Amino acid sequence: MSARYLGQRLLQAIVTIAAIVLLNFLLFRLMPGSPERILLRNPNLSQQVVEATRARWGLDKPLIPDQLVSYIGSTLEGDLGYSFKFRGQPVTSVIADRVGPTLLLVGLGELISAIVGIAIGAYAGWRRGGLVDRVGSGVSLVLYSMPYFVIGMPLIVIFAAGLGWFPTSGMTSVGGGDRPFPDNIIDLARHLALPLATVSLGLIGQYSILMRSSIIETRSEDYITTARAKGLRDGRVLRAHAFPNAMLPMVTLIAINLGYVIGGAITAEIVFSWPGLGTLTVTALQARDYPVLQGIFLLVAVSVVVANLAADIIYGMLDPRVRR
Amino acid sequence: MTAEIRGRRQWPLPKQADPSAPLLKVENLQTHFQLGRGWVKAVDGVSFGLDDGEALGLVGESGCGKTTTALSLVRLLPSNGKIRGGSVELFGIDLVPKTDRQLDRYRWREISIVFQGAMNALNPVVQVRRQIAEPVQYRLNQSESASLKRADELLDMVGIPSRRLGAYPHELSGGMRQRAMIAMALACDPAIVIGDEPTTALDAMVQAQILVLLEQLRRDLGLSLILITHDLSVVAETCDRVLVMYAGRVAEEGPVSRVFTEPRHPYTRKLLGAFPNIRSDRRTLETIPGEPPDLVNPPAGCRFAPRCAQAMPVCSGTPPPEVSFDDGVRVACHLFGTTA
Amino acid sequence: MSAARASGSRWRLRAAQLRAFAVRYAGRADGMIGLVVLVFFGILALAPELFVGPLETATRASAHAFDAPSAQHLFGADDLGRDILNRTVHGARISMTIGLMATVITLVFGVVLGLVAGYSGGMVDNLLMRVADFFLVLPTFVLALILAPVLIEVVGADAEVMGIRATLLVIIVVIGITSWAATARIIRSQTLSLKERMFVDRARVVGVGPGRIILRHILPNVMNLIVANAVLTFASAVLTETTLSFIGLGDPFQPSWGQILNGAQDSGAAGLGAWWVIAPPAVSVVLVILAFTLMGNALDDLLNPKSRVRR
Repeated sequence: MSARYLGQRLLQAIVTIAAIVLLNFLLFRLMPGSPERILLRNPNLSQQVVEATRARWGLDKPLIPDQLVSYIGSTLEGDLGYSFKFRGQPVTSVIADRVGPTLLLVGLGELISAIVGIAIGAYAGWRRGGLVDRVGSGVSLVLYSMPYFVIGMPLIVIFAAGLGWFPTSGMTSVGGGDRPFPDNIIDLARHLALPLATVSLGLIGQYSILMRSSIIETRSEDYITTARAKGLRDGRVLRAHAFPNAMLPMVTLIAINLGYVIGGAITAEIVFSWPGLGTLTVTALQARDYPVLQGIFLLVAVSVVVANLAADIIYGMLDPRVRR
Repeated sequence: MTAEIRGRRQWPLPKQADPSAPLLKVENLQTHFQLGRGWVKAVDGVSFGLDDGEALGLVGESGCGKTTTALSLVRLLPSNGKIRGGSVELFGIDLVPKTDRQLDRYRWREISIVFQGAMNALNPVVQVRRQIAEPVQYRLNQSESASLKRADELLDMVGIPSRRLGAYPHELSGGMRQRAMIAMALACDPAIVIGDEPTTALDAMVQAQILVLLEQLRRDLGLSLILITHDLSVVAETCDRVLVMYAGRVAEEGPVSRVFTEPRHPYTRKLLGAFPNIRSDRRTLETIPGEPPDLVNPPAGCRFAPRCAQAMPVCSGTPPPEVSFDDGVRVACHLFGTTA
Repeated sequence: MSAARASGSRWRLRAAQLRAFAVRYAGRADGMIGLVVLVFFGILALAPELFVGPLETATRASAHAFDAPSAQHLFGADDLGRDILNRTVHGARISMTIGLMATVITLVFGVVLGLVAGYSGGMVDNLLMRVADFFLVLPTFVLALILAPVLIEVVGADAEVMGIRATLLVIIVVIGITSWAATARIIRSQTLSLKERMFVDRARVVGVGPGRIILRHILPNVMNLIVANAVLTFASAVLTETTLSFIGLGDPFQPSWGQILNGAQDSGAAGLGAWWVIAPPAVSVVLVILAFTLMGNALDDLLNPKSRVRR
């Protein structure tokens, strides 16, 4: 991979992040009425704090450049303001508390769905029109049409309310996290099972559909004919020749989806009251806690941009044609 | 010659092989493609043979079935293609009734292919030497290191410098890639190498180098070569015999020296006339009016009749029989009656 | 040749093309299944009163809380004793209307910007496409989550614009803002290649203005793409609407499917095993999105010149 390729991508990412910061700034300041109405309409803040914040954000000064400069300055310092809802805690720490559960849930979900989806898609595409293709493609299309909550709610009805195998919500039982090992892990696993199934099922469709079409496209390439001409076993042709090439677009999709991990499965978290960023988003939304919403948007947007950058870099490493 | 060349083989003939049988004998081959409106009769009754150490040129316009004929030998057809008749006998073993699994035994080990456009025929994400080592490792059950060693020897043999050993296909020039393709075709020391327009995409200098390489390898290794090309000068330089195809059938076949100096089939004459010859005096190039026939519903008689200046009434009704001449030439044309 | 005759023959040509297309479409099993499902929900959306009572009966209690399905209430009742069948049928209208309007907004933005960018080229093109790329990278759903309450705050939750309640309007606008970029990209690339064609050159030489060239020569030729794109956009618009409503950004007085599921979530219907509250709206959403996806794929195969090159 050339330094030029890398530099170009890096510059692109930086420009995009700058634009996101700008959008975030303008979104809450260009609205009619005083910015305080939205930014500082917080019953939990004392007049003193309000005054201090006003002064620090320079809300009494002109929008551009003074306010913008101070906004960028405080953002770079990691100061995203104070939450309305959570008793004036800094937005950064409110968000930080919720990142872990989301990473656990959506990260594992991505892993499972990528492995299963790619396996199904690859096999279905390789044996196009076969039984696995017919059943797998049908199921994938249905799953692809289902938002997380439409998958999650029936799972609760069947496996939690009906069969009673798993709890309906939360991440731990009362005091469950404090039990000695391995009971705390088992407790967590029982709570994780259904949300994880929801997220995985929700993503499998996307992966298997893309992998199938990628394999089908690859199958008609000349080098596959070469591999067949070599008299290699069918499985070897698939594994050594079709699969590595068909994976190239998948790598991009997986990396980009990893960026969405953070913002990820908002509705899956809601259905199971999973204490991650998704439920935080909705809590903040209901309380019109704009600083927290802004913070989440910034975090998600930046992680998506970073994931895109990572996708470009990984692609460059896997495909020797880009590596120069 | 036969015994001498077969003696060079690094491994015994296949178990069912008849040591006295000719290397390759294709009889009445019919390969058709299924299309929405019927079967495309891309190859329709083609017969030819190939001896040990011989080079046969397959020529004709694009779409005449020459590549399909060659790929039918190891049945590398697209999913809508099917061999619907005839036989392909290698050492007396008919390959047509074999299952794909059984056919794998003959692919590359007995018959390998140098594809045109090595850029697409090589896997872009695998090092070239690994692609060459692959058939050695998986078909001849050699260890990975032994296979790679063999690959490096082969690359050396086709003239690729050792510092390019770790290269990926896109890092090599067109000529280098084609050399690598040739090295790959030689990996299992096959009896027959099929060259499918191996020099078409290359510029003239490189083209000449590749042809010299092929010629030298053929002599050194005792290979038999089937060369598919539309470039008649390539055939003239490298082949012993030539088979001219038109619309899925053999028009004329025989020693290059005879066919090129005394073409008998009107199509062969037109083809030679349509080809620029820098050694002869300045002639206007001839063109052949009309287009090749629709192969779903080909003409009942001679398929060239609609474009033939010498067509007779019989040509449009009856397919011409193949007539053999004493000088080893075979022609399918009514002009030569049924007796020679 | 008179203008009237020319336009007459053009219409005959168009009609013939349309017939040929209909025949080809009818040959696609997936497309036909999608169409049938869609027609069914279309009828529900157009005339819910044919099947159940007027909207007021859907927002008012007529049974006990969480009544299970019975002869009187085929799909049972929710936590407030409201008839689920009734709500689901009326939900079809809200969901489909919002989906349709969001699609229209998306297409208008996407097509206009795509045409302008592709036709004018240069700086304008560059700028518009940079903005489009930015919107393609943005996590649009999270942006929609933030935009929606902000806009509602600005216009006021109870306001009405042209008879549509502000909350619904906001959802429509937000979907439009966050999804025009993909359409714009597709239309732009097609416009770019059309611009180079002969007939456009001819019109330009004759002195036809750019607006007229775009309308008369380019727009008809990107119509195929617009249709195929519209169907897929509709699917994602319905999906976004459902999700936004599920999260609680919908209008409680206008029961869309997402809104019904939001009620089910808030009342803990799933944990109580009240599957009848969940199944009807959930199945409806999945069927509609699936139908649009099937139709969209079929149309894309038939209409999009790029995806037509297949083995």
